[in-house]
Amino acid sequence: MNEATPSAIFKDNVWTNNPVFVQILGICSTLAVTNNLTNTFTMTVALIFVAALTNVTVSIIKSLIPRKVRMIVQTLIIAFYVIIVDILLRAYLPEVSKSLGPYVGLIITNCIIMGRAEAFAQANGPLLSFWDGITSGLGYMWVLMIIAFIRELLGFGTLFGFPVMPESFTRWTIMVMAPSAFFLLGTFLWVVKSIMLKKGAAR
Amino acid sequence: MNKNGIIYTIIFTFIIAFFFVFFLALANDATVELVEQNKIVSVQSSVLKSIGKMPADEMKISEVYTEEFDSVPQPGEMIETEVAGQSVLIRYFSGSGLWGTITGIIAVDDKVERIIGLDIISHNETPGLGGRIDEEWFKKQFSGEKISTEGITVAKGAGSSDEDSENSRVDGITGASLTSKSMETIVNNEIEYLKTEGRK
Repeated sequence: MNEATPSAIFKDNVWTNNPVFVQILGICSTLAVTNNLTNTFTMTVALIFVAALTNVTVSIIKSLIPRKVRMIVQTLIIAFYVIIVDILLRAYLPEVSKSLGPYVGLIITNCIIMGRAEAFAQANGPLLSFWDGITSGLGYMWVLMIIAFIRELLGFGTLFGFPVMPESFTRWTIMVMAPSAFFLLGTFLWVVKSIMLKKGAAR
Repeated sequence: MNKNGIIYTIIFTFIIAFFFVFFLALANDATVELVEQNKIVSVQSSVLKSIGKMPADEMKISEVYTEEFDSVPQPGEMIETEVAGQSVLIRYFSGSGLWGTITGIIAVDDKVERIIGLDIISHNETPGLGGRIDEEWFKKQFSGEKISTEGITVAKGAGSSDEDSENSRVDGITGASLTSKSMETIVNNEIEYLKTEGRK
């Protein structure tokens, strides 16, 4: 990261230093929740929320945190926001909460949030940290949405639960299982890296 | 005060943990009733679905339910009602699936000769595979299904739907043989239970 201007942060988090396809973070959830768009959307929105607020909180109290317990405190803050999300989902969106099951809780261990709190929020002001959290989340979101789009379309023949494929369409069972996310993520990495390399060579 | 000293560290950790946990407790307390309510409604809607009385308007679930029943069943509990002049046994079942516990509602007639309906409340099966036990086509196969002396068979079929309700057999889910097998065991256990307990 060269300079921390909002637009540079945006570009960094969404493209050049994307948490999923450059840093390869948050892979567990990439594999687990991307077999349908609705769950993926809820999950990524929850992640954006948690990442942004964790960053703000860490940034505000960073001067008070003793170095030794820095990581523990960050984890505590992340866990706090994740449980808040879980409680809200259970109270107001019981259906979504049911289908996401344990994955909401797993946001706690999502390295993107921890990574941003440690790498960015520890060193920057609350507003920039907030923006950094949101853009990191967006970087995560668009990659997952693309993978979920392909997986749901081929695996279920639906998009957001609405049937879009003809009746005669045979579901690709593999697409709803975790291995297909490996294949898709690999292919995705390949495509994106090729684009990046091409751009780099042209420069 | 030395910020890396042990006393500051302990006090800081204590205060911050207290602060966050306090807020969590508040949030939990504020929504606990709503969460409880959601759970009850989900059981109520399953019971109504199993006897085919699910209202089209989801807001009316509790209303329709309280007209029909006095109490909401707890896991393992059996309740009775009448549908079209015939008495029906309804049980909140739970049994083990492939990955975790499957809970749901099963309704049978009082002679335990036919299944009236079945609905799933919760499960942890693989989404898109075993998780399809929660899809309408699968659950619908149980409606009106005749119970043979051996119970019900969840067979490896076309994986679409078995329309015949006289053959005591429903189609399993393609690619989820173990979950299908679990469902068979669960349903047959329930039938056994209802036969001994229900026909008193």
